[in-house]
Amino acid sequence: MLAEQSDAKILAGGQSLMPMLNLRVAAPATLVDINRIAGLSFIEVDGGEIRIGALTRHRTLETAPEIRAALPILAQAAAEIGHVAIRNRGTIGGSLVHADPAAEWPLLAVLLDAKLVVRSTDGARTIAAPEFFSGPLTSAIEPDEILTEIRFPILPAATRFGFAEICRRRGDFAIVAVACAIGFDSRNHCVSAEISIGGANPTPMIAAAAGATLKSTNEANAIEAAAEMAAAAADPSSDIHASAEFRRRLVRVLTERALRQCFDTAQVEEALDA
Amino acid sequence: MRDESFTERRTIRIVVNGVEAEREVGVRKLLADFIREDLSLTGTHLGCEHGVCGACTVILDGQSVRSCLMLAVQAEGCALETVEGLASDGKLSPLQEAFREEHALQCGFCTSGFLMTARELLKDEPNPDEQQVREVISGNLCRCTGYANIVSAIMRAAATRGVK
Amino acid sequence: MAAVQIPAGTGKLVGARVRRVEDARVLLGKSQFVDDVRLPGTVSIAFVRSPYAHARILKIDTTAARANPGVLAVLTYEDLPELSRALRLEWDPAMPSAPHKLVEWPVLAHEKVRFVGEAVAAIVAEDRYLAEDAAELVEVDYDPLEAVADMERAIEPGAPLVHQEWGDNILQAAGAEFGPVASAFEAADVVISERFSTGRHAALPLEPRGCLASYEAAADLLTMWSSTQIPHILRTNLAAILGAAENRVRVIAPDVGGGFGLKAHVFPEDIVTALAARITGRPVKWIEDRRENLIASLHAKHQIVTASLALDRDGMILGLRARCLSDIGAYTEFPFSSGLEAGVAAAAMPGPYKIPAYQFEAISIATNKATVGAYRGVGMPIAVFVMERLIDIAARRLAIDPAELRMRNMIRREDHPYTNVVGFQIESGSHREALAKALEMLGYEEFRARQTALRSRGRYIGVGIASYIETTAPSTAGWMMLGMRMGGYETATVRVDRAGKVTVLVGTHSHGQSHRTTFAQIAADELGVSLDDVRIEFGDTAKVPYGWGTGGSRSAVVGGGATMKASAVMREKILRIASRATEIPTDHLELRDGAVARKSGGEAVMSLAEVARLAYLPPGGNFAGEQPGLEVAETYEPPLMTHANSTHIVTVEVDTGTGQVRLDRYIVVEDCGTMINPMVVDGQIQGGVAQGIGSAMLEQIVYDGDGQILTGTLMDYLAPTATDVPRVEIAHLESPSPYTLGGVKGMGEGGAIAPPGAIANAVADALAPLGARVDVNEIPLTPERVAATIAKTRNSK
Repeated sequence: MLAEQSDAKILAGGQSLMPMLNLRVAAPATLVDINRIAGLSFIEVDGGEIRIGALTRHRTLETAPEIRAALPILAQAAAEIGHVAIRNRGTIGGSLVHADPAAEWPLLAVLLDAKLVVRSTDGARTIAAPEFFSGPLTSAIEPDEILTEIRFPILPAATRFGFAEICRRRGDFAIVAVACAIGFDSRNHCVSAEISIGGANPTPMIAAAAGATLKSTNEANAIEAAAEMAAAAADPSSDIHASAEFRRRLVRVLTERALRQCFDTAQVEEALDA
Repeated sequence: MRDESFTERRTIRIVVNGVEAEREVGVRKLLADFIREDLSLTGTHLGCEHGVCGACTVILDGQSVRSCLMLAVQAEGCALETVEGLASDGKLSPLQEAFREEHALQCGFCTSGFLMTARELLKDEPNPDEQQVREVISGNLCRCTGYANIVSAIMRAAATRGVK
Repeated sequence: MAAVQIPAGTGKLVGARVRRVEDARVLLGKSQFVDDVRLPGTVSIAFVRSPYAHARILKIDTTAARANPGVLAVLTYEDLPELSRALRLEWDPAMPSAPHKLVEWPVLAHEKVRFVGEAVAAIVAEDRYLAEDAAELVEVDYDPLEAVADMERAIEPGAPLVHQEWGDNILQAAGAEFGPVASAFEAADVVISERFSTGRHAALPLEPRGCLASYEAAADLLTMWSSTQIPHILRTNLAAILGAAENRVRVIAPDVGGGFGLKAHVFPEDIVTALAARITGRPVKWIEDRRENLIASLHAKHQIVTASLALDRDGMILGLRARCLSDIGAYTEFPFSSGLEAGVAAAAMPGPYKIPAYQFEAISIATNKATVGAYRGVGMPIAVFVMERLIDIAARRLAIDPAELRMRNMIRREDHPYTNVVGFQIESGSHREALAKALEMLGYEEFRARQTALRSRGRYIGVGIASYIETTAPSTAGWMMLGMRMGGYETATVRVDRAGKVTVLVGTHSHGQSHRTTFAQIAADELGVSLDDVRIEFGDTAKVPYGWGTGGSRSAVVGGGATMKASAVMREKILRIASRATEIPTDHLELRDGAVARKSGGEAVMSLAEVARLAYLPPGGNFAGEQPGLEVAETYEPPLMTHANSTHIVTVEVDTGTGQVRLDRYIVVEDCGTMINPMVVDGQIQGGVAQGIGSAMLEQIVYDGDGQILTGTLMDYLAPTATDVPRVEIAHLESPSPYTLGGVKGMGEGGAIAPPGAIANAVADALAPLGARVDVNEIPLTPERVAATIAKTRNSK
């Protein structure tokens, strides 16, 4: 259907698209309502992977016991999205395709190097999260494609997660958000470090250099140094809520806080229980 | 853009506050407008039409939704609950009574949205603490009350074990 | 705190936390707001609005729009009758205010547009969807002009002119000097000079503006349902502008979903909608959407104030100077004047302090932005922000505790009635007592101790005080002193029907203020009936006496006062009739439990219904000198102004990493004299504080340098939610007014007046250890601003 109609948009949860229609900043001739397509909403924990249907609602991901068991950072992030009425309808697929650089799902998809499966009448292709986001509110999906599935790798049990964001009010889009996943070996040394930053770059960004400096180190000032590097690597823009410069500063502050959640065990317990 | 699809109409069947209804509606009509105009249930209000203020909140198939962010045709086959369905035979529900006791409304425009949000909250979480209540209702705007009495009303309703 | 139940007819309703009578209907979803009013054949109107801040209109092509499905009419300026083309505000030399320029606000733009969102054309169509479709098809050729979007730039030489015929961008420049200002400053040991800037705010009622106009040609009658606070004022102005006889115009304000001052104005859209009803012969409904409400209704409170405070070394204030620049946008609020903003700020600046000398300038400046109008507190929040910051800065400079500095300078109980430096008579008040009580509720000493302890652990908490006087319920002369053509009286008509039930008709309007309950409490107490036996009616100009609506915190004093007065006169009549019938002297009788009874708990002698029978249809038709029936109308006007006072104290914690401010405790000690219903008063305080917190921390209308508005949705303009507003801890003092009926004072705006001052002071207090100078002189206090302040403070050591 998408291939046939030149001016068609997919209507999933509608929490991003409908405001645009109501405000008349978008006016597609056709809406393709996919909400009743069977088989687009599912959660499957399969070996080292969680596979989530694109139509799965934020609220489902927030509350599903299998998510909390396998990858609790997903539930924690889902709980930050808007408010309950929005989470009841909004979908993970819709959020990813909408590609807001400050949104939680793009941030986590990039952090965890999720794989996104898109389909068209020509078949399916799998896109790695960092390649999926091409610019602010722009994804790599073609007009005749639909996102069907997202695959998150389940990280080793010794992985600790950190999450820190600044919003003006609860449930608002983050001004800046930082998520990190730190892997530890049996001697509590950092063996892997991924830091993703949202709201401070045209797309959610992996602070690769910052992550790299954290491996094999437990030194306190390594965290500060990593935070500085993450801030330097960001390419934020200004808007009415925050200037580019302030966003850069927040990257530094929030990266440090998110990392401390991982490196300080007591804080980890607190963060996951929040 | 100005083509026939804008005038397309469909018949939808929907259960409204427990009563079956069938209506013909234009495909572009918002669920909120459908409720207010086609169902003549004007207790649901529109404060922003972009999903932020929560005044239009209703319950669809047991879950709170922003009726301004749905098309009426999307509610085909669903069960819809609006503020008009909370009372039985004109008698206020315990939740509604609690709002009255606690002076939780002033102009009343936001009230139905808060009631539907609270209804869902108390179903999911019969014994919330104040912070939980505040977080859940932070998606509904009120300009008159400053929220404190709304929180008190919901806590009171929870304490009297009234869900509705 | 919850409501209580009071037994009927005990005469003790006033002063009690009586549960509201309004609520059942609302809770059942049976309110009737304008958009809920259904008239057969109603069509919708939508407006085409300017995307430019300043441009010439070269051409408007409505051909495609007219041809679109469902369109009944497309209107531009040229299509309107000449008489009805503009809201025209002319300075009245009889008013004591400074002269202001003539302002003509075309109801549909004429030759030029002057702000983004200005209405250029109107589409009438079968429904709003179709009207908006057609609105997109109107083609307007604009020739963009340079816009002036900054008030300071607007008064520089060579700035683009918003109105060419003005010659400059100044609507009004007022000023005055009281006492020996120059010598006060010369003699001072300390002079604090600061510049303050407040955000541009929006009243943001949950129900946007709207009206439904229905014109019956056969009877030449226009009925306008309007979400308005001022039904009669709207009627008078509609009639004048439409060229209609006022006795053929009816305004009905049904349920109104919040107003806060925004809806106490007449708007271009009201005129165009009424005209559209006449032109199409169909009822026409206009309901603005939130975007229109944010960009094209009225904004508020946007000022830059440079002020100086002169003190001696003991902290006694010697003099005050203030220059208030007010950015009023492209036109003027109507039918008042946007000069009100700066005028009220300047007049309110002295606050509760004894100030020997004061000089002010109040300059209202036009820019290419939406117009500014009244919103809860008007200029008072700005005055309090300025004055309370100056006091805290002075306290730090002089090493005097900020609470102590206030105490030294405040008007004392024994000083009342106190004529302040601008000539306002403060009739009663508890300024020092309210401050003392608030400090006690906080536990001031303990807070300071905790503050010191936390500082050593790198945590920054602070406490901020803001004390103020709220000017309320002006008389007619009082309004004129403030530069407004507005009546200060109200008339209430009290009717007792043949069954003994009471109806009160009054010209104020309740849109959340609970008048159906509070005025019923008054009438029920006066007439000895139960609350259930009283019905309060307002909002329909065909039914209620001419009134001045609700605003300026006037209703409890004036509407309540008129209700009290009329009810008392009615009581006298009832007692006279009963006395004649029973031959018991009137001074042995009282009204109690729906009957006439002997005083001091004596037995009932006649029911109210029996008295009514005698009043309406006495035996033999002998009315014994009384007017037949039981209907009394009385007008009440309070004295010049009535002053409530309050102290707010807030504690905060500042996250120095992110600049976020968390509010911890919020304390209010309020003195509004006699309270009719403390539950309602508390609700007004809590709600006002929420709006004040919004203005202090979150809310800001933003324009770019070209006059493009950047905050057109609720995702941009941030209203406070339940997680942003703490539960206010409230205590009441009661200094009744010696002059108003019942000693009532107004207080509705108060909660919104102090938060910017209190919160700014708290943040400055929290950050004080970081440096010598903490600049918290700009609101809203966004995290970015606070972070910048922290950096600047650290460098100021």
